[in-house]
Amino acid sequence: MKVQLRKIAHGRCGDKSDTSNICIYAREPKYYKVMEEQLTTEAVRRHFEDIVYGDVIRYDLPQLDGFNFVMHHALDGGATRSLRLDSLGKCLEAALLRFEVEIPDEE
Amino acid sequence: MKTIRIGGGQGFWGDLNDAPIVMAKQDKVDYIACDYLAELTLSIMRRQQERRPEAGYARDFITVIKQILPDLKEKGTKVITNAGGMNVKQAVALVKQAIKESGLNFKIGYVLGDDVREILPKLREQGITMQHMDTGEDIDRILPNMVNANVYFGVEPILECLEGGADIIILGRSTDTAMFEAPLIHEFGWKADDWDARATGILAGHLCECGAQATGGNYDYDWRNVPRPEFLGYPIAEVSKPGELIMTKTKNTGGLVTTQSIKEQLMYEIHDPASYITPDVVADFSKITLEGIEKDHVLVKGVTGHPRPDSLKMCVGYLEGYRSVAYLPYSWPDALEKAKMAADILDKRMAMKNLQAIRTHIDYLGLNSLHGPLAAEMHEELNEVCLRYAIMTETKAEALKLTPEIAPVSNLNGPAQGCFFGGRIKPSEVFALWPTLIPRDAVKFTAYVEDVK
Repeated sequence: MKVQLRKIAHGRCGDKSDTSNICIYAREPKYYKVMEEQLTTEAVRRHFEDIVYGDVIRYDLPQLDGFNFVMHHALDGGATRSLRLDSLGKCLEAALLRFEVEIPDEE
Repeated sequence: MKTIRIGGGQGFWGDLNDAPIVMAKQDKVDYIACDYLAELTLSIMRRQQERRPEAGYARDFITVIKQILPDLKEKGTKVITNAGGMNVKQAVALVKQAIKESGLNFKIGYVLGDDVREILPKLREQGITMQHMDTGEDIDRILPNMVNANVYFGVEPILECLEGGADIIILGRSTDTAMFEAPLIHEFGWKADDWDARATGILAGHLCECGAQATGGNYDYDWRNVPRPEFLGYPIAEVSKPGELIMTKTKNTGGLVTTQSIKEQLMYEIHDPASYITPDVVADFSKITLEGIEKDHVLVKGVTGHPRPDSLKMCVGYLEGYRSVAYLPYSWPDALEKAKMAADILDKRMAMKNLQAIRTHIDYLGLNSLHGPLAAEMHEELNEVCLRYAIMTETKAEALKLTPEIAPVSNLNGPAQGCFFGGRIKPSEVFALWPTLIPRDAVKFTAYVEDVK
């Protein structure tokens, strides 16, 4: 079945200049594989393409059941210059939680 | 085995003053480090100092230190802070005054030299290029608009203060992590090229420097069930040897320390987990493992380090323009439609005034102001929505064109525009940051220690 990432993952985002990073961890280890396969760099880039204009890089942290995504040109020029209300991109991790993944049906 | 306990008392300028006070009084730690500086903070502090020469530091720290001096004395706790901001000398003067008024005796340490605004042209003449770290662009274009220029320093001058016996150390733009790493090097005598040890100090600093974010604040995993968030305990790292540490928090407080709270903070503002670059060491967090060992105690293992970089990071803040932001709220029925009509009217009014905006940004609080185009579509009518209309311009005069337009719009379009908030809009300055690298030996940091009683 399809679920939003909010059901199976948690994380946090941070800012440095015009770059945002989102760390995202499986709530249960069994979902790590699902995320590894479906939460690809390309899928995350497409998810954010209307507000993130640069490269997206994924770093895998299998021992922590998670990933760190780094997104360039993500913050409207950076927190100090942004015209967005969320100038620091503090809500971008929440925006990723909208991402839909296919998980095995519960028995 | 010797264990050093070091706490993070503040995560940013404006953070909860109670946190380091409760930590000093209610627990027993060897060091409290208080971080006040984010990327933009020094530009704001410099602007304050231009208006009032005695300003330009984090005044909150003075409030904190006054309340905990007897506790520091009684328990032997030392305090390290970058509260000095752009005006270390003034912060030092006020801390000295507080010490004198307390009737106690402390050694105060401080470091000068990170503020290179005045020597920057000379450095430029020496052939230091200061190209933008990301774009490679030459710095000369922005120099006329420079507000501040500060070089991030690492542990060396802080160690000099500690070796001089300082109990309270006031800094400007040290790295956040150096304030935690330096006391560990000092206490354990770690060698300068013991990169794994230094990285352990960085890890302690990284996990503590954002205060509540390690101990149940911003806790995405289970925010509903954080105990007593109104009395949240701030983080404490317990270090006994290189390569590992235990994360906990001020005792008898709210909040929590779990593997999930530590995970969320571990990657905060980190790019490549294998390469966290600091002036002291390149730390590798990529192999870190976490284990809950008892309630509110998490064992963090597997941090390693690599040799430090040859350059230091410098950040130049400069004035890039002006920003004006207006808010106009609308109620049901047809709230969004009315708000959109107001935006359209403003667009046309600004065109009639020939506004030269660098950028304009329109969104709607209650609908999409936080997630922008990623926000879900609304299928039901909104009870209320607030238009947010933001412009950025090169000059203040351009930004001022928006100011008189906001009130009239409430009479020009659909009814039920509820209220103004934020008052009559005023343009604010927009600072941009220029991150660059400069050779380590181009700047000299000087440490001072003075006995105060």
